[in-house]
Amino acid sequence: MELLKAIAARDEAALAQLYDRYRAILFGLLMRILNNREEAEDVLQEVFLQVWRKAEDFDEERGRPFTWLVTLGRSRGIDRLRTLASRERVAEAGARDAVEEISDAASDAFKSEQRGLVNKALAQLPDEQKRPLMLAYFDGLTQSEIATRLGAPLGTVKTRMRTGLMNLRELLAGQGESFGF
Amino acid sequence: MMVHEDYKEMIPARALSALDAAEDRVLNEHLENCSECRKELEEWQATAATLAMVADPVEPSPELRERILSEVRKELSTPEVIPFRSTSRNIWRSFGSLGAMAAVVLFTALIVGLVVLWRENREINEKLAVANEFVQLATTPGAKVSELKGIDLGSGATATLAYDKTGHAILIANKLPSVPQGKAYQLWFIVGKNPPMPGKTFSPDSGGKGVLKEQMPKEAVDSAIFAITLEPERGSIVPTSPIYLRSFEVN
Repeated sequence: MELLKAIAARDEAALAQLYDRYRAILFGLLMRILNNREEAEDVLQEVFLQVWRKAEDFDEERGRPFTWLVTLGRSRGIDRLRTLASRERVAEAGARDAVEEISDAASDAFKSEQRGLVNKALAQLPDEQKRPLMLAYFDGLTQSEIATRLGAPLGTVKTRMRTGLMNLRELLAGQGESFGF
Repeated sequence: MMVHEDYKEMIPARALSALDAAEDRVLNEHLENCSECRKELEEWQATAATLAMVADPVEPSPELRERILSEVRKELSTPEVIPFRSTSRNIWRSFGSLGAMAAVVLFTALIVGLVVLWRENREINEKLAVANEFVQLATTPGAKVSELKGIDLGSGATATLAYDKTGHAILIANKLPSVPQGKAYQLWFIVGKNPPMPGKTFSPDSGGKGVLKEQMPKEAVDSAIFAITLEPERGSIVPTSPIYLRSFEVN
């Protein structure tokens, strides 16, 4: 991706452009994980500074920029969540309460059409497969923690998580080009 | 005995970073030697990343953009070799003959060489200064020295921690495994059966050498076990990785 190459060559304007393109999706993800604006902004800043310092590590043969950025952002968000040592959420606080803050999806790389496809695919998964995926992705829980949370045997959770992600991949497989970011 | 298929079954959960620590460690060791599984992990990570789309996009505050760019400008203004790139363009334009160009190339190479030498010299001096400081601290009356040894993932690594009665401490570590992106080593103080107390984080250089200056908690000065784990760069308040190095005798 040209933007990441430019950033690796210390082009500040390219970083600003990347920020403008991905800020809303990454901040939305961090808000979902941390549910706290201050923490989420702090982590978002860390993520973009890491992108600035490590852009040369991005290998386009190993994945898309979207995957790289989201994986980096989510990993930092979960690290912070664990550091805070608290998974208590403040009910109804944060992004979902502030309608005016929700970004216009058409204005960034995160197109509403693609969101619709993912939500549609998830809706087709049985709840028993979907819940382990959500608990792992947004709450940073391990399989053992999920088993405890759901009161299910560990082996069952492992199977459901694997099957859930496999099903999600198959459901999205036909949309390959739509996720080309 | 685990076979290839066993590892492959663990990969989707690894893409969600949902493996428990022991399985994560086992799979990481396998991934180091299996390009097929590494490729598969990348594919599963792409699928996992689509889950980010479930979260509503949210606008961060407008000030954040400026804060980030301001940090970046600060880094750009730090004197490094990089500034030569921008100034050299103007110089090229101002010289017409090949001889002058060659002179500029030679001059630039000389300056770059001098900068590299200066930096190497500075690094050596910094290392010597830390070594001196370490010796001074270790020989202060009442000072103690504790040896840490690498275990499991940190096997082969060693570290020495010197500290005085006030808790002023210096740790020098060698042969540390390199750290993944966003991670750093963190020092811990374990007193009795209390939860480990967090120390600072540090990153090793390319040769696996790490140095840390620390002010120990008072409780740890008289009696403690020291341990080092791998944590997020900013540090953790509780250990989240297995122990890489530890001392075996209570000081």
